[in-house]
Amino acid sequence: MRGRLPANVIIWALLLTAPFWLPLIGGYTALASRILIFALGAMGLNLLLGFTGMMSFGQAAYFGLGGYGAGLALVHLASSSWLAVLIGTLAGGAAALLIGPLVMHRRGIYFAMITVAVGQIFYFIAERWDSFTGGQDGLTGFSRQPLHFSGYAISLRDVPFYYFVLFFFAIGAGLVALLLHSPLGHTFVAIRENRRRATFLGIHVERYVWASFAIAGLIGGLAGALNALQNNFISPENLYWVESGNFVIIAVLGGMRSFWGPLIGSIIFIGVQDYVSSILPNNWETVIGALFIVVVLFFPTGVLGIIRRGVRPA
Amino acid sequence: MSKPSKILTRRTILRAGAAAAALPIAAPFIVEARGETPVKIGFIDPFSGTYGVLGGYELNGARMALAEINKKGGILGRPVEIIPEDDAADVGKATVKFHKLVEKDKVNFISGSVSSAVSLALSHAANLKGILFVDTGGHVDSVTGQHCHWTTFKICSDTWMLANAISKTLISKFGKRWYISTPDYAWGHFLEAGFAALLKQNGGTLLGNALMPLGSTDFSSVLIKVQAAKPEVFIVLQGGDDFVDLMKQATQFGMTKKMAFGYGLVEFENLAALPEAARVGWGVMEWWWDQPKNPHVTAFVAKYRKLYAKTPSARSWFGYVAMHTIAMGAAKAKSLNSIKVAHAIEGMELPPELALGPYPISYRAGDHQMLLTEFVGEVSSTGKYPYLFDVKETIPGAKLAKSPAAKGCKLTYPA
Repeated sequence: MRGRLPANVIIWALLLTAPFWLPLIGGYTALASRILIFALGAMGLNLLLGFTGMMSFGQAAYFGLGGYGAGLALVHLASSSWLAVLIGTLAGGAAALLIGPLVMHRRGIYFAMITVAVGQIFYFIAERWDSFTGGQDGLTGFSRQPLHFSGYAISLRDVPFYYFVLFFFAIGAGLVALLLHSPLGHTFVAIRENRRRATFLGIHVERYVWASFAIAGLIGGLAGALNALQNNFISPENLYWVESGNFVIIAVLGGMRSFWGPLIGSIIFIGVQDYVSSILPNNWETVIGALFIVVVLFFPTGVLGIIRRGVRPA
Repeated sequence: MSKPSKILTRRTILRAGAAAAALPIAAPFIVEARGETPVKIGFIDPFSGTYGVLGGYELNGARMALAEINKKGGILGRPVEIIPEDDAADVGKATVKFHKLVEKDKVNFISGSVSSAVSLALSHAANLKGILFVDTGGHVDSVTGQHCHWTTFKICSDTWMLANAISKTLISKFGKRWYISTPDYAWGHFLEAGFAALLKQNGGTLLGNALMPLGSTDFSSVLIKVQAAKPEVFIVLQGGDDFVDLMKQATQFGMTKKMAFGYGLVEFENLAALPEAARVGWGVMEWWWDQPKNPHVTAFVAKYRKLYAKTPSARSWFGYVAMHTIAMGAAKAKSLNSIKVAHAIEGMELPPELALGPYPISYRAGDHQMLLTEFVGEVSSTGKYPYLFDVKETIPGAKLAKSPAAKGCKLTYPA
């Protein structure tokens, strides 16, 4: 624990100053926002995947629902970015809360399968319900709105939007950190380490899986709402199982046993995607796939896992 | 006690190798300094997935035009550069790529798109950023209709023009009982609406309309329904690999011998991918390479074949026209400012070496729709590549298109 404080300070300092140093190394602010958004979604997933030990392949469902929640709120309810984020987050969280009892009894591969299946249900609803969701064309006709503070209006252009995202990222990450240090978080880890022993200790394992699933969905919804605001657009692809796979890849790449793993994974995944897709427009996905295989085969604990092992004598 | 961890193991070597292989990816962001900053055009098109082949043809055409433009001194004396990005015909990917091109690469103009859904999304996104977007191949009406923007120019025809070009022929030749198979997104919806309206005007019956998601591979459920309905004409609105799969399956079902096939749009790339038995039906091409009386076309085809060892398609021509349009617009406006270039392109007529067809072609000022020529004809079941289509009639686009007002387009420039 003692060694972590400086690392945390450095990470937050880097995040707070990103718009200033990022262009110097060839990045751009919108990329930073995107990285944070996917890191947040993967952090939510990681609560389930890395800390509760449940392999969910359906995070995109709640990410996408968050996006549709935000987009539809802007189209139909009111032109407020705050409200859009709130509705999106609640949409993701509520869906996960309702779906939880369906999936919490399953384990291992069956848990993964049923989370995929449920995710695909939302995908097909969004794709077929043309009049409400825009169908396969996606939902357009909304854009992120300026923020109003007692007379002031801040338009959410590039840099202000980054801080808007960072603000919610801090809330999401703070929530996860708080959870992990609470008895609830310790229970999650106990379930991951030995489900049977946890049961014998009198823990209602399934209820905790449910809780973990719902919180993961809530954070996924928050990330999805921010994603919709960033692109001023949301389409069924954000609900698709491939997107769920992306979140798993991000968590595994970075290191799914570590708190900051998803952020590192997102930096690598989104960064490589952004860079390689310009050089190899035809097969950039091959590079990502190869990278993933390399990580799974040789660095099963992810990038942070390697760093940690390097620093601490085993 | 020995310490095996100090020994160089196979795993360590493998890790080192993988890390070394990852290095060129990990150190990506090096910006080259150049004497003259090039004019950058972001080209968002599908290079993978169901429309992957079509996007490739568009990019080839665009690159050929780019070489010509740079040879003549570029745009306003600056070299021109294309930055291609793959959208896999996926709206979500396309929007992400758009923001990357605008914010990181600082492109001056945007072009591309095969999927109508993508062109709609790009059109909105480009308008929010005030950047000129030349839509090469997303046909949907609303891009130059109720969702038209001053920033958007569209090269390919709209869905109404396509339906209008072929409907009369289908009715007079084969009959008024139709069944339509529609890809379930913007392009399909608009095209289907066009065909259905024209059929109704002529007193025909629409027996059914089967919707299938874009990227479907198995069409047997649709084909069974169509066979049961026994239409005189089966209208297939699928494009790309979807079209190829549907036609192969319909041929296996023996349907090509039982009913006439009609298409909104016939694409050269798709015909080339079909087995001979599946090459049937009537439809519309938006450009055709075999125009022996036109020396400009002959020269264009010869040059393209020399570069790519393939015969150019309508898509190649779209990409080619898009780049020249931007270059001509910027030259006329003497500026790279999107508003000035947009005003310059409005009403602009393509020179014959660019129009490459029997009639003059221009960008209509009212909705920024290019009024191209439609080549109506029959798919050739006996011809060998590249003789895959027999043109029976050419119709100038101005005769087919609805007026901007009827389409619901009202362009407003920023003050």
